[in-house]
Amino acid sequence: MNPARENILSRVRSALRAETPRPPAPTESPIWLPVGDVETRFRTEFTAVRGDLLDSVQQLREFLKAFPKIAIDGSALVRQLLGDGTVTARDADIGVTVCDCLVARSGSIIVSARVAGGRALSVLPPVHLVIARRDQIVPDLAAAFMLLRQRYDGHWPSSLCLISGPSRTADIEKILVMGAHGPKQVAVYFAG
Amino acid sequence: MTAAQQFRRAATAKVADPKHRAVLENNIVTYDAAVALGKTRYADWENARSRAAQIKWEAVNHLDRYLEQFERAVGENGGRVFWAETAEDARRYIVELAQRHGVQKVVKSKSMATEEIHLNTAFAAAGIESIETDLGEFICQLRGEPPYHIITPIMHLTKSDVAALFHERFGTPLTATAEELACVAREQLRRVFISADMGVTGANFLVADTGMVALSTNEGNGRLSVSLPRIHVVVAGIEKVIPRFEDLAVLWPVLAQIGTGQAVTSYNTLVGGPRRGSEPDGPGEFHVVLLDNGRTCLLADAEQRDALHCIRCGACLNACPVYKNIGGHAYGTTYQGPIGSVITPHLRDACEWSHLSYASSLCGACTGACPVRIDIHRHLLHNRRNAVQRKFDNPFQRLAFKAWFWAMRDATCYRVSGKLARLAMRFGLVQLFLKPWTQCRNLPVSPAQDFRSLWSKMEGTGPSAPPPANVNHGAAGAAPSKRYS
Repeated sequence: MNPARENILSRVRSALRAETPRPPAPTESPIWLPVGDVETRFRTEFTAVRGDLLDSVQQLREFLKAFPKIAIDGSALVRQLLGDGTVTARDADIGVTVCDCLVARSGSIIVSARVAGGRALSVLPPVHLVIARRDQIVPDLAAAFMLLRQRYDGHWPSSLCLISGPSRTADIEKILVMGAHGPKQVAVYFAG
Repeated sequence: MTAAQQFRRAATAKVADPKHRAVLENNIVTYDAAVALGKTRYADWENARSRAAQIKWEAVNHLDRYLEQFERAVGENGGRVFWAETAEDARRYIVELAQRHGVQKVVKSKSMATEEIHLNTAFAAAGIESIETDLGEFICQLRGEPPYHIITPIMHLTKSDVAALFHERFGTPLTATAEELACVAREQLRRVFISADMGVTGANFLVADTGMVALSTNEGNGRLSVSLPRIHVVVAGIEKVIPRFEDLAVLWPVLAQIGTGQAVTSYNTLVGGPRRGSEPDGPGEFHVVLLDNGRTCLLADAEQRDALHCIRCGACLNACPVYKNIGGHAYGTTYQGPIGSVITPHLRDACEWSHLSYASSLCGACTGACPVRIDIHRHLLHNRRNAVQRKFDNPFQRLAFKAWFWAMRDATCYRVSGKLARLAMRFGLVQLFLKPWTQCRNLPVSPAQDFRSLWSKMEGTGPSAPPPANVNHGAAGAAPSKRYS
């Protein structure tokens, strides 16, 4: 048995015998400006983080033409639209998944390993397409966490991700470059 | 050479380097603009800081409870927690784990904790290849340099510096754009991701109630590091724990806002254990190394305990006039800038690193920028006081203060020492003692008469006389400072 655990915890406990005052309590005033209409806000923010919105089935079909090798998460929603995928995430030109919910305030998509076909499908292929429903949009992170807690408490998926636009880097001279390691493009299509 | 001498030498060289200054300024000006724009999303940024500070206070001041809760939850998720008292313990555990599983290649997602324990060196010594995957860290690794900044590892390099490096290593043209350079790194590293056996990441937060590790990256390297390899190892300081999953609704946006001005980072990932039965992929092994390495010493200092609130956002570095002039490498520490100057004497040797407490103008810009309200500049003063109390300061300086204290108490001594100091200034003797200051600044010319003699002349001319225009405030250079208690 590694004694480090007890050593560290006993040092922590003895350190905490000296108390520090709690910082002044936050006020009740809201931190963020109001979200407004959730769908409008999601569309604005998702576009601002360089996400692409596909507004009709025609647009979706047109968009998918560019990607012969498709990997899907196996959900009923995606299979209804696209049929079965042709390849695995490792060989795909595009990964198509559903999501747990969408967050209006930051234009984000939440995917879990359970719902969206594991971990790699939404990050390894060069493009990620999300098939969502409008009623999956929640106003903010607090609402998203409440929903996830209700859905998963006690049996969490092994991984969750809040995705806000394509992969990017600004490491070189703070010049924004899209497509670092993850998808270069992220698109959302509303199927209802 | 001592750490203090190295610091002085490196800092002196950097302040005199105009290219370095221009590169840093360009970077920080862009950062400032993005942060200012990001703040327009907030109705009350100050309240966001208070909320974040409150969460971290709760966690740090009940650290034992939340660490145990986290450990339990990780176990329930099928992962394993290893407690490491020192960097050496952490390195040994990770390298042995890698050897036991026949790991040959490791991908690393940017992590300051692994920098702190020099994990790459340990992997190299064991013959295991470990590759940094964050673009900035990848470039640092190619150059054999430590990161320059907590979140902007190559803040000191220009695009042409990177282009020259990639030209030499990968044969890309010297005229490559930032986009082309990023693309080269993407291709190089994609192969590595697919063939790696182990992914090592840090943690932005450890969520106690769900046993999850929160990782924020813009590039997606964090996500790939936890998706493809068969083993995932997390290295995190014990202070990274937060009580509840829901706390991230405040901490994620606050970290992104102050780190880069984004509403949230592109990818905020939560990993809670190895793949579950029904999931198609993910590592089969999940290990979290909880690192003390001096953090409990800082915890025991109740006065400075809030320094453990730090979420490693880099805001205090960007705000600091000293950092802006000397840059990140001069500090010689894993954690640079004001917060690094506060915590390094606690995490490492207090005597060796106490000089960093003086790498500050005490302007308080760091404290003003800190999203979790750490009293950074006051802690620099605390460290100065502690160093003097523990007699870590220069004995010559101690003697000089004693002499000054003695001279200031007696009118005759005061008068005589003032006269001597003025003489010494005139004949260049003071300049000898103050060389580090005077070699790049002019010492004011001492006036012909001091205040005392002006005053005694004025007394003869009556109360209606105008005050003397040229007043010398006593001994050379030594303006009496307020005693700090």
